[in-house]
Amino acid sequence: MQVMNDNAVERLVKAAFARMDAVALGTSIGALGAILLSLATGFLLVKGAGSGEHIGPHLGLLANFLPFYSVSWGGAVIGAIEAFAIGFAVGALLAVAWNLTHHIWLMLIVRGTYEGQQL
Amino acid sequence: MSAAATVTATASTDRSVLERAIRFNLIVVSITMGFVLGAVLWLATAILLVRGGTHVGLHLGLLGVFLPFYSVSWPGAFIGAFWGFVGGAVSGAILYGAYARSLRRGITTGLLESGERTGIRLPVMLMSGPALGLGLGTLGALQLFLATNWLVVRGTAAYSENAALLGQYLPGYTVSFAGSLIGGAQVFAIAFIVSLFVAAVYNKIARGRAQR
Repeated sequence: MQVMNDNAVERLVKAAFARMDAVALGTSIGALGAILLSLATGFLLVKGAGSGEHIGPHLGLLANFLPFYSVSWGGAVIGAIEAFAIGFAVGALLAVAWNLTHHIWLMLIVRGTYEGQQL
Repeated sequence: MSAAATVTATASTDRSVLERAIRFNLIVVSITMGFVLGAVLWLATAILLVRGGTHVGLHLGLLGVFLPFYSVSWPGAFIGAFWGFVGGAVSGAILYGAYARSLRRGITTGLLESGERTGIRLPVMLMSGPALGLGLGTLGALQLFLATNWLVVRGTAAYSENAALLGQYLPGYTVSFAGSLIGGAQVFAIAFIVSLFVAAVYNKIARGRAQR
């Protein structure tokens, strides 16, 4: 007697091995990074600083990692572009890692099932 | 076997498949986040070392307060990579653990079937914004709570000027127990909103690409 509901199992297997869209994840994380950095920079610029003080000396240290970034309106745009690029790369990498590991796992399961049937 | 017993067996099998998948996903997310965070910390340290100058990594070196034996040096870069991996893996487990709670309630609510029907063509997953928000919010709030109270416990809260700068973005936050609760609540709220945004953008693009 078949005790497994084929549709239910197929549904679960599909859900468990569902792929991530690398472009979509990269774009969403990149956009998030760009918006957050723009907001953080803009917030400090609007808030300003006392006379003789620098605006955002700590946030400005990001220039060590983001070339040409500075706590200024122009820097906010440059930082946003760079944050988008880094976020996109990280997001796409995460999606590729996810898809690859799940693909390998699925292949191992399929192979194991096939070998089991051969025995 | 009766019909009732068949249904029970089916549900049990489905549950087993689901739990195995969630366990596997949790391991994948943990290891991936561990590698990413470890690589980021190594790279950040290495960039500062290569750039050189006086007082190299004055601010990044403060991570040594939280990561034992870490410093902005070449050995420190590898120690940082290790701690980054550990921290990333634990964070990944907490994040996916919280996300999986919602999957257990309705795992197939967010799938995009591809138009292609040749061979094994798995669907593209859609993100649940609230579920991601719950996971990311819990993780962020927990991290801020633990980091702040670690500074309180070691008795350096009053001197933690850099940590206190978070008060610029989180009104009411201070390096104290009460501040960690206030800051944690705000981080949870921000992470929840951020997650809704990420999920909305991801789902919109994924839907658009699936329709092509």
